[in-house]
Amino acid sequence: MSAVPTQIDPLKVARDAVALGLRLGADEVRASVGRADDVQLQRRGGRLERAQEARTFGLSVSLLVDGRYSSHSSSDMRPEAIAALMERGVESTRLLEPDPDRALPDRALLGAIDEAALDLDDPAARQRDPARRREELEALEARAIASAPPDLISTTAHLWEGRSESWLCLSNGFEAQSARTTFGWGVEATLKEADTGKLPEGYAFEQAVHLNDRPSIDGLMAELDEALALTRRTSACASGRYLMVLDARVVGRLLGALLGPMSGAALHERRSIFLDKLGEQVASPRFSLFDDPTIPRGLGSRATDGDGLLPQRRALIDAGVLKTPLLDVYYARKLGMAPTTGGVSNLVVPPGERSWRAATAAIPEAIRVTSFLGGNTNPASGDFSFGIRGQLLRHGEAVQNLSEMNITGNILDLYARFIEAADDVRLNSSTRSPSLLFDGVSFSGA
Amino acid sequence: MADLISAVTPPTRPEELYFERFGVTQEALRAVLSAALSRGADDCDLFFEHCVISSVSMADGKVNRASTSIDLGLGVRARVGDQVGYAYTEDLSLGAMLAAARTAAEIAMTTPGRAPVNLQVLGLPSYYPVKERWAGVGMERRVPMLRAWEAAAFARDARVEKVSCQLVDAERVIAVVRPDGRVAQDFQPMTRAVVSVTAQQSGRRESNLYNLAGRAGLELLDAERVNRMVNEAVDRTMFLFDAGKPPAGEMPVVLAAGASGILLHEAIGHGMEADFNRKGVSIYASRMNERIAPSFVTVVDNGTLDASRGAINIDDEANPSERTVLVQDGVLKSYLHDEISAKHYGVAPTGSGRRESFRHPPMPRMRATYMEPGPHKPDEIIASVKNGIYCTSFSNGQVHIGAGDFAFYMKTGYLIEDGKLTRPLKDVNIIGNGPSALERVEMVGDDLMLDEGGWTCGKDGQGVPVSQGQPTVKVGALVVGGVSQ
Repeated sequence: MSAVPTQIDPLKVARDAVALGLRLGADEVRASVGRADDVQLQRRGGRLERAQEARTFGLSVSLLVDGRYSSHSSSDMRPEAIAALMERGVESTRLLEPDPDRALPDRALLGAIDEAALDLDDPAARQRDPARRREELEALEARAIASAPPDLISTTAHLWEGRSESWLCLSNGFEAQSARTTFGWGVEATLKEADTGKLPEGYAFEQAVHLNDRPSIDGLMAELDEALALTRRTSACASGRYLMVLDARVVGRLLGALLGPMSGAALHERRSIFLDKLGEQVASPRFSLFDDPTIPRGLGSRATDGDGLLPQRRALIDAGVLKTPLLDVYYARKLGMAPTTGGVSNLVVPPGERSWRAATAAIPEAIRVTSFLGGNTNPASGDFSFGIRGQLLRHGEAVQNLSEMNITGNILDLYARFIEAADDVRLNSSTRSPSLLFDGVSFSGA
Repeated sequence: MADLISAVTPPTRPEELYFERFGVTQEALRAVLSAALSRGADDCDLFFEHCVISSVSMADGKVNRASTSIDLGLGVRARVGDQVGYAYTEDLSLGAMLAAARTAAEIAMTTPGRAPVNLQVLGLPSYYPVKERWAGVGMERRVPMLRAWEAAAFARDARVEKVSCQLVDAERVIAVVRPDGRVAQDFQPMTRAVVSVTAQQSGRRESNLYNLAGRAGLELLDAERVNRMVNEAVDRTMFLFDAGKPPAGEMPVVLAAGASGILLHEAIGHGMEADFNRKGVSIYASRMNERIAPSFVTVVDNGTLDASRGAINIDDEANPSERTVLVQDGVLKSYLHDEISAKHYGVAPTGSGRRESFRHPPMPRMRATYMEPGPHKPDEIIASVKNGIYCTSFSNGQVHIGAGDFAFYMKTGYLIEDGKLTRPLKDVNIIGNGPSALERVEMVGDDLMLDEGGWTCGKDGQGVPVSQGQPTVKVGALVVGGVSQ
């Protein structure tokens, strides 16, 4: 039994897998190798509670054999294990039925954005002193405890860092390589409300591609204070239709409800509210949504997409009109359309010119949604229902913290009710959207 | 050689060390244990895993997509009290394993710990004997199965427009090695089958699905279950065409027997996981031996149910699986413990230390959570409601542990008016507070049913397979995500 080679050359592993696949009889092969270094630290009660560290490898291979398709992955990087994976893969693929829509993409569509322009690989990751990480986490925990409210019963500080690299090789000769770093930290805290016996919890977690862009301890503490304030003395308000301020921190949940039905799989399987709607008005003319993989240091930015397609900034919805479905190479062929990308990168909603507070100052009653609890969306009909927490606003001022409430409706109707984007875009997120305002949303409560 | 790597072949002799076939000798195990204890950790565990998952799918009338995923590796955990050092490696060479063990050991900073003793493979119960392993079922047998499911779905209703089917089988061997010499090796099978349907009626489209899952081989997919899977996938899709929304607000909710165990999972199950209680952050942290529900409510978490998705012969810390009574006749009796929380509370572990894979340290998790049958008849329960809703199927749920607020998503159900089921309902989130929902359980049916679907529970970024079940249950008031006029 041989060992994993001490120094794995990931590009060689990917190239060898492609070559072996072709030798075994595959018509086309796609191989990617990922390598990730990962550190997670956690402190509670004034001491290190958990320290985790690992370097991990993985190989993924897609095979096209006699017009038939299969995919395979393994964490076992020993040469004989990879050979066995490929042999079994080619053999089992021959037993499937052909799929004429499977093929590598046209070379003209392939490409990668210059890594220097994206700036996703912070050299600080490779120079990081492990002791320094522990000191930073200790400082964060100490600050969280020092500034804690008197009814705090537990606080846990987290720090996580990683660097991941991937190598993509296609049998048509295309190769791409990329690396990205992540630096994150945060605090979670639990309070005890003496009279209700409830243990409300709040958290503040932030991450960035570059260490220097990671938000400061001051920033985290301000965020935690606000989160904890929102969890105190919560109750439901009356059921009814309210103007909804969807907080920038949680806006991804309802933007995500648009993405599922935009996918090639949903469109092909005809379980999509956007079926036959390309080029049509699907939202308020005030609403636009972009996918932008090209933002330097963006948490969702990428040099190339999963198919090897050259990433581009695209309008998904422009002034309410459906512009771009999310089509990977396979579903694009099935639908007879040009591929765009199979998955989004940085979601961007352009900001407005005033705060949500200013935008609601003239509104007698509105609800600001600050977190979700459960819920789901039906991509075929657009029906949705989500549990929420938040605040009841009167003329822009919070008068009651809310819990045990739901919002319910249809996603197309909701986006038709979009009225305004606020000015509070969050940059330390792959969802670069401000808070969004919708009119006449159905809330159920007391 | 190829078979050794790309397929899981369970140990043939009880005393056989499975991972010896990957070059991991007894001497290597002792050396890695010693390295994990080298900085003075109180205890440690080695968690080896070899898992092969195969999937084959059908769409557009063709069985034309297959995948295989192989995972092999070791996770090393060193413990000092409740402090945990963790490292893992996919490379089972001695050098890589020792490096992982030394990294995990760094959580401690004292003198070397005790030397490991001789290793002894434990005998385990067998809650999921496999009658026919998928390893012996080639693609030539799988392809016709999927074709038959698809054909049956199209034949069931002319409105069916698209059908997709998937069959996934996983075979996994884990080995937990402890410095006291215990070696627990378990062969853990899993089968999951899914049929998804999209249908059209008068230009409107709806989609839904049904799935089967369990720790079994081919025998899970007997004719009766497969018929039910296909018929339910179609019927639940058609149901949606006529379904609407209930009114918004607080109202009585009746949960049909089976998948409504999601209520227990979210409203009480997570709050019983003792890591939350040990840290004082669960709403149930100070309520042991107190009454938390009416006397006809008994809630159990059971890892020993034959072939169920949540069954385990042994947990991922090498402690025996068991039936744990969480709430007995309305009184809180036990949390779900891993070794760290059991030590904290001075009780025996409940066999609830579980992890997603060798890349994750274990923590207290549910297995199969259900409510024992109660005194009421299902018809009597529905008849007792003047205005409320009756929930028949669910898709997902969530809980805030400290506040106790939980939610679950009703995919299908009915309005109850004057004690009778009337209008069909769909796609509604229901929200409540765990402790108050339990206090408001007004009736429990005599019709306990364990759901047969493939539920996966997520916690701290780790997913583990679970089962859930419940008899018909009436909760006096929950907030239903209906439509406000």
